[in-house]
This record gives sequence, structure tokens and C-alpha cells, in this order.
Amino acid sequence: MNAFLEIVGPEGVPLRFPAASLAERAAAFFFDLFVIGCGMGLLLLLLVAAAGIGAGFPLFLIGFFVLRHFYFALFELLWRGATPGKRLLRLRVISRDGLGLTPEAVFARNLVRDVELFVPLVVLSAPEQVLGPAPAWLRALMGLWALMMAVMPLLTREGTRVGDLVGGTRVVRVPSASLVADAADRSSLAPPMAASAFTGAQLAHYGERELETLADLLRRFEEGRAERSDLHLVATTIARKIGYPGDGPATDPPRFLRSFYRHQRAALERQLLFGKRKESKLE
Amino acid sequence: MSGRTPGAAPRSVAFRREREALWFELDGLVEAALRRGLGSLDAEALHRLPVLYRATLASLSVARHTALDQALVAYLEALCGRAYLAMYGSQRSVRGAVREALLVTFPRMVRALRVEVALSLAITTVGAVIAWMLMDVEPGWYDAFVDPGLAGGRDPHASTEALREPLYGGGNGALATFASFLFVHNAGIGILCFALGFAAGIPTALLLFTNGLMLGAFLHLYASRGLLFELVGWLLPHGIPEIGAVVLCGAAGLHVGRALVDPGRRTHADALLRAGRRASMVVVGCVVLFAIAGVVEGVFRQVVTDDGLRYALALFNGLWFFGWLLLGGRGRRREPVAP
Repeated sequence: MNAFLEIVGPEGVPLRFPAASLAERAAAFFFDLFVIGCGMGLLLLLLVAAAGIGAGFPLFLIGFFVLRHFYFALFELLWRGATPGKRLLRLRVISRDGLGLTPEAVFARNLVRDVELFVPLVVLSAPEQVLGPAPAWLRALMGLWALMMAVMPLLTREGTRVGDLVGGTRVVRVPSASLVADAADRSSLAPPMAASAFTGAQLAHYGERELETLADLLRRFEEGRAERSDLHLVATTIARKIGYPGDGPATDPPRFLRSFYRHQRAALERQLLFGKRKESKLE
Repeated sequence: MSGRTPGAAPRSVAFRREREALWFELDGLVEAALRRGLGSLDAEALHRLPVLYRATLASLSVARHTALDQALVAYLEALCGRAYLAMYGSQRSVRGAVREALLVTFPRMVRALRVEVALSLAITTVGAVIAWMLMDVEPGWYDAFVDPGLAGGRDPHASTEALREPLYGGGNGALATFASFLFVHNAGIGILCFALGFAAGIPTALLLFTNGLMLGAFLHLYASRGLLFELVGWLLPHGIPEIGAVVLCGAAGLHVGRALVDPGRRTHADALLRAGRRASMVVVGCVVLFAIAGVVEGVFRQVVTDDGLRYALALFNGLWFFGWLLLGGRGRRREPVAP
């Protein structure tokens, strides 16, 4: 569910997208199938009503063909990698190589859809339509192959279907971006404790993972999802571990923790500038 | 280790304060672009977008390596991802893309697949020759090669008159239905030819071979009654785009099959990707060929009954067909289509 897909954009900076799960893609696909079905019904009604059976039906045949084979490709070209179903579920098709999505890639991934879905269905239900009068062993072989193609998304590492392998594409979720306030940038909320500057030795205990945990705790506290007693426990534990003097941590845990967070982050970031990374307190 | 640490805020705080405005500006533009497309932005916004995007990418690169605020890095990751989606969707106009796909990419890809095209043509021809030779020995083979449903009574038991009649008959009203039916049926078979390439191309080859058998049997039947000239005049005008498209779709299937069986120096995934992109463009071009063939077959063939005119039409079709495939997209250079 939390799988990420990394591509390198044309600017040379790696970008990370949340990969779409199989369930989301299936939901988008079934919605699209529903749209196709409605589109076909509507088309038939409109054409027959407007032009009568004689002239309406041939147009319907062509419309049927275009919908069946090119619905996905045309939408993905027109809507920058999204069909109505994908749009609804906030999914997009992107090119694995990080360059723009080319028509070649879009057609390739969608023509193969036929092989993955319709051909297996036909091979399993009415094999003579594809194979003609074929011997039983050939039918069994074809059935097995068709099934393989259909269940490919369950077998590959990234859950890609054959069309995505052939087109060199992947389906990703459109990331949603919102910037929360920085816990170290709240001068009004957390005036640095008067005599609370930390020594270098006091800031040498913890690493990035503990820092992130602390930031998370502070965020939850501000949103009202953490108790003051939690903060008290954490503050006194930290004070004991780093040997911080005084009763500041016990009397005003939020203030102490914000101040500590700020200084700890500044210290770690300073080390980072020299290429020294401290992942956790265990290092 | 003694000495007080400087009281300054973490560097990433200043870093964020200095650049936040740019990020939020980009955020607003990207939101609009994702919702209503790049076309909804005005000229000034379009000018700002790449500048803001590159600046934000630079921020992301710096933040990844120097900032310890995961919320900040996650925000920049998401923002850059959204901007990438907004900017690098398919950016060309659809009309331009279609024109380029048909006039430049399609003929180029056909020429790139020339080995498979030759193979596909050879399989069809061998099928036709075998059917012809077998029927020379025993005309009863016809029933084995031609599906009775498709033959519609045109078999060795029919009289010469009954065989001649369908060549010049027709013109019976429902031409448009017939044309669109032919198009849908044939284009479906073409796409199937490509699709079956994923089974190592073997079913594609079989499909081409049986197609050739049918063609050979048909030609032999009419030749045995002295109607070969008339049949060819009837067949060629639509046969050039139609049989041509079947051969090309077969070539596309064989190309994919070849990539699966023998990827050469590439990995299987790479070879499949390259072959799939090339072959699918050939199939898309073939769908257009099938549409043209459907119109010729469903309308012109029924209306034009003069042998001379039919051969003239065949010549005309042959000229544009081979001109398109052999000359299309030459001269103009652009970056390679398939990676």
C-alpha cells in the first residue's frame, strides 16, 4: 500500500510517487467499463433516434469499435494520463523513464489490454473463435497462457500488468501536498527557554529517527491528539538521559521539548552539512 | 566537549522561510493545471511555471540532503510530483500527435520491422502456394481451407455463373452497414494478430498461414474456371490496404514474439518494451488502413463493376499505399521514438 515508485525526471532530480494499489486500479478500471457500457447504450439510442436503424447502425458499429479499443488510449492522451475512472480515483499513468508520456507508450499499454482481458475471456469461453478447430492440447496450452497474462499483476514485483511492462508505464496516485507548520519555527509558541541552551554533549545523544518521533509528538500535541502527561514523560526521560539540569522539563514539558527539538535539529543539520549523518541514537 | 551551541534556529527553518512563497505560487498554478489542463493558464503563468518548477526541484534536492524536517521534505516531494504530472503529461496537441503518428511514426516503424514484414508476407505466400498446389491435385481440399460461412456458397460445387455473379453483383442498399462491419471485423482480427504475438508469435504465424491458405484456395477456385482476371480486379482495390494491413499486424505480432524469444543483448523487459511500443504504432496505423479498406470494399467495390476501372483503382491504391509506407517520415529528423 505504501509502495513508492521513483523516476528520474528530465531535470535529473529523482521524484517519488505513491504507487497505485491493485485495488485502486481495479476500481478505476471497472468504473471505466461502466462508462464504456453507458456510452455504448447512449450512442445506440442517439444514433437510432437521430438517423434510424439503417444509417444509425453502421455508425454504431464504428462507435462500438472505437470505444472498445481506443477509449483508454484516447482519454490517456487527452487528459494527460488519466481516464475518467483514473481521474475519479486520482490516479495517473506516467512513463517509467521519466520523460513525457508518449503516444507510443499509451497505445502500447492499451492495445495489450485486449490480450490481458478479452483474449483470455474468449479463449476460456469460446476457444474456437481464436484458434479455429484446434486440438485439445493446444486449447489447454492457450488457456494456460491467457490465464498467465491475466494474472500477471499478481506475479510481478510492482504489481504491473503486461501492458505497463510493454508500454514502459506505471500507474501512480497523484500526491496531495499540504505543508504543515514547522515545530521549530514557532517563536510565539515556544520562546527559547531562557537558560536552556544545550551543550554539544547534550545534543550528541539522539539521531534523526528520534528527532522525527519528537516532531510527530509535538504535532499531535498541537492538534490535541496527545496528552500533556505524554509530553511530561518524554521530557523527563530526555532530561535524565542527556543530563539536563533544573526542573524546567518537569514544570513546562511543551516548552522544554520544543526548545530541545529546535536545538537538536539545528545540531544534526549542522553535522549533515559536513556529510555526517546520524540515523538514530544507536549509532 | 563543552561550549554552548549557538541559539540560532535550524538552518532548514530559514531555508523554508526564504523559499515558501515560491512553493506556494507553484502549488497554486499546479492545482489549476491539474484540474483544468495547462491550457487554462494565461501566458504569464505558463512562463512562470517552469521557472518555479526548477526552483522547487532545487529546493527538494537541497532539502533531501540538509533538512531534517520530514514534513517539509514530504511536502516538496509531493509538490514536485504534482508539478511533474501537470507538466509532463502528454504535452503535444492531439491533432499534432495523430498526424505525426500516422505520417511519420507509422511508416518508420513499418520500415524498422522490415524483417518481420518480409517473414509475415512469406508465411502468407507459402500458405497461398500450398493451398494452390494441393487444390491442383484434389479440389476437395477447398473445404478444409475456406470456412463455409465466409465462402457463402462460393465453393467448387458452384457453377461458373454462380461464382461470377457475386463479383459484379451487390449494390444492395446496406452498403454502409457492410463497410463498417467489414472494418470492425478486420481491424479486430488485426489487433488479435498483434495480441497473439505475446504467445511467442506462434498463433500469429498460424493465423497468417491459414489466411494465406484461404487466399490461395480462393484464387485457385476462380482460376480453374477462367475467372482469375475478374477475381483479381475485384480483390485488389480493397485487398491492397486490407491484406497489407493483415500482413503488417502479423509482422507486429511476430516482432513482439521475437522480442520475447530472442531479446538479443537487451534484457527481456527492455526488448519487450521496445518491441511493444514499435509494434503498437504499426497496429494503430493498420486500423486506419482497415478503415480505408472497409470503405473501398463496402462501397466502391459494389458500385464500380467495370474491370478496367477496378484495376485503375487498384493501381491508385497501390501507389498511395506503398508511397506512404516507403517514403513517409523520411527526411525530417527527430529524436528516436523508442528508447
